[in-house]
Amino acid sequence: MFKKLSAITLAAVMLFASATGINAGATQALKGKIVINGSSALLPLTLQAAKEFKTLHPGVQISATASSSIAGPQAVAKGAAQIGACDWDASMDVPGFKAFKGQVAHKVAVIPFATIVHKDVKVENLTTAQLQGIFSGKITNWKEVGGADAEIIVINRAFGSGTRVNYQIKALEDTEFMKSGKNYKEVKSSGDMFTAVKSTPNSIGYIDLVYVKDGVKAVKLNNIEANADNIINGKYPVWAYGYYMTKGQPTGATKAFIEYLQSNKFQQGTLKKMNFIPISSMKDKK
Amino acid sequence: MIQEAAGKIAKRNKFNDKAATILLWVLGIGLSTFICMLLYTILYKGLGKLDVGFLFRLPEELDEGGGIGPVLFNSFYVLFIAMFISIPIGIGSGIYLAEYAPDNKRTAAIRICVEGLASVPSIVFGLFGMVIFVDYFQIGLTILGGGVTLALLNLPMLTRVTEEAIRGVSNELREAAYAMGATKFQCIRTVVFPAAFSRIITGISLVAGRAYGESAVIILTAGTSTSGAMWDFNLFSPGSTLAVHLWYVQSEAIVPDAREIADKAAAVLVFVILAINTLLRGTAWLNNRRINDN
Amino acid sequence: MKPELNTKTRHKILNKEKALKSHPSINRALANKFFGHFCYVSILILCITLISIVLFIGKIGIQTFSEVSLKEFFFTLEWSPMEDLYGAGTFIIGTLTLTALTLVIATPISLIIAVFVAEIAPLWIKRIMRPLLDLLVGIPSVIYGYLGVTILIPFLRDIADIHMGDGILAAALVLSLMILPIVTRLIDDSIAAVPESYREAAYALGSSRLQVIVNVIIPSIKRGIITAIILGMARAIGETMAVVMVIGNVAQLPTGLFMPTSVLTSNIVMQITAVQAGTTWHSALYMMACLLLLISLVLIYCVRRIRSKGEEGL
Repeated sequence: MFKKLSAITLAAVMLFASATGINAGATQALKGKIVINGSSALLPLTLQAAKEFKTLHPGVQISATASSSIAGPQAVAKGAAQIGACDWDASMDVPGFKAFKGQVAHKVAVIPFATIVHKDVKVENLTTAQLQGIFSGKITNWKEVGGADAEIIVINRAFGSGTRVNYQIKALEDTEFMKSGKNYKEVKSSGDMFTAVKSTPNSIGYIDLVYVKDGVKAVKLNNIEANADNIINGKYPVWAYGYYMTKGQPTGATKAFIEYLQSNKFQQGTLKKMNFIPISSMKDKK
Repeated sequence: MIQEAAGKIAKRNKFNDKAATILLWVLGIGLSTFICMLLYTILYKGLGKLDVGFLFRLPEELDEGGGIGPVLFNSFYVLFIAMFISIPIGIGSGIYLAEYAPDNKRTAAIRICVEGLASVPSIVFGLFGMVIFVDYFQIGLTILGGGVTLALLNLPMLTRVTEEAIRGVSNELREAAYAMGATKFQCIRTVVFPAAFSRIITGISLVAGRAYGESAVIILTAGTSTSGAMWDFNLFSPGSTLAVHLWYVQSEAIVPDAREIADKAAAVLVFVILAINTLLRGTAWLNNRRINDN
Repeated sequence: MKPELNTKTRHKILNKEKALKSHPSINRALANKFFGHFCYVSILILCITLISIVLFIGKIGIQTFSEVSLKEFFFTLEWSPMEDLYGAGTFIIGTLTLTALTLVIATPISLIIAVFVAEIAPLWIKRIMRPLLDLLVGIPSVIYGYLGVTILIPFLRDIADIHMGDGILAAALVLSLMILPIVTRLIDDSIAAVPESYREAAYALGSSRLQVIVNVIIPSIKRGIITAIILGMARAIGETMAVVMVIGNVAQLPTGLFMPTSVLTSNIVMQITAVQAGTTWHSALYMMACLLLLISLVLIYCVRRIRSKGEEGL
């Protein structure tokens, strides 16, 4: 009888221990499920981080999707996601969007944005004024900005996109986007934007640097190239902090994942390789 | 004179007839060949580059070489759940309408409901599923939500097909069964249902094919991602299916081989649906022949 | 005190009870009753589902009108939720235009193919084409959208020498291809239902086959054609995925065949994930879904009326 009792107790203790991760190599036993939704600008970073994190903690399931930044904090508010990726701090009011009360913002990266054009467009540089003209619909032909005689197809992101908000403020200096027109199209996510600009000749759009690959070309702004150095030294203004929003303070696997993303190793390693900028590099800038 | 005129008219008619025949032949064959070519292109473009590993690999989000393993699995899993729920209810409803329903106002009202449900667009079903599972029950985007909503989508068609199939069974068979003292249930179970079986199976195959390719409903209720693991039977994981994944890869993917993945995924999707249709219909046809030969 | 039953008696009683319980006729009766109830409950589930859909979607949709006037929603054309403008007129016109264009393209082609298959084609072609059309009905809408994006839009761009192939023409072509099999099969069934005696009478009078088709068959399947068109229309109106991939998704009126535009379905799916529950925008999108639901129900009602009139007429 005593043997039985002690066996049961031992089993209970082991069960309890494994359930709460109290055993040798506790970090290996990290378990959980993280659903991430929101910004498509941050998506590649999230996916890469998830991949690396999962090799370290195979017990954690991470599933990440993206459409536009607004979907992130919304999903968190609804409980459909643990982390909402957002290109602005959603716990504060931002022009066009109300603050999401009760959510905590965690800076995870500095996102550089660039103006992109179809690869056959011959223009290499655009001034702020030219960009303002193009995206508001006043400039309609590439020849007006030094390119071939062809109509400009403007591809914009739909409302809710953090990329759009940041581009409008920082590249267009608050100029209104055009809303309609026969050469105007709106797309939902960064991936859509990439596909659209890549497959539509004479098109122009904007996207964060991680997406700039074969098929689209990044153009300079006021003769300054969009890259990490120019952002850090302040010459190139079109960038924003990327945030992970959580409901209250994160715990468990979610906390570990965010910490992994903010860790020096990740920031200086993978994050930099993907053309994002470590948060630490922009310490004294807004 | 009249004969000449009549001859002229007859000649004109004959000419028109021949011309129309040629035109119809050309258009008919032309259009069907066009459609066949489209299907063939999809299958050829995709299946040609396919390797079996593609069907089981996990999708890559950033690099080349991704596969469709989890979404392919989810497609079947969600389909299974939807069929599991909708087949009993659909067949039961169809049998009710064919065998039990009295000819009164209430039945007329019921029929209106069935036809109404059949006409609801799939996106409205998706929104309904979203309201129930994501907003009301707050379970987020899950395979369960997708499966149940898909089942609701299938119900009206299964009901209609079953009712017509059962009505199509001749009354003599029923009378014979009743004459031997069968209860209604026994009559249906042993005589009517087997006789209507092949048509019901055709209906099930139509519904299964449609459910397999459904995307609007799945996007709104089960999401556009998977849990990332193969063979995930968890009902509460996000459940993107092959059809949704095709849409996603086609419009948003950032992997360098996105076009190929889209081509291959489309080919697999078309192939599976054709397989479901031919398999089930083929069985039904064979079954029919067996019954008729006896 | 109860008398102690000896084992033998106890067994006898138990056996009798068992016998009664498993007596075939009682089992059969129970199963029969149960089955009847099961079927009734099944049909109730369907009815409850429909009513729930109408109630849930309607409840959220109606909330729109606490902020937006009926006139503004239905009759204005500015859809800018960021500026509190909720004019769904653009989408309504877009849906109607797209559907009309689709029907204009699809109906003649369906009619021709149906006539061909039903009247002119030899048996072996009939045997191939009818199952082929049935198979096509099952091809999912994403595939049509995929075909639209990969084949149709570049094709349109080349032949029309325009910049973006997206627009209402691309969407109409894709939808036409999609509803073609359904409408064709329905007309085909109608043609097959025309009594042979009609044809024989016409031939006896010396008509050519064309005359028989044009003067006898088509008039007598008028109702069938209308039914087929309405059912095709219902499918086209509710179609989401194929349309959203080729239509451009800009909330502007389609003033040209190649202008990116938007319809009720495509707009709902594009914006529903970005809106917060409880906002006017959210309710407005649900109201658009209500509209879709209403239109579909009205169309089905029309089909029923036509069908029942047809039965009375015979």
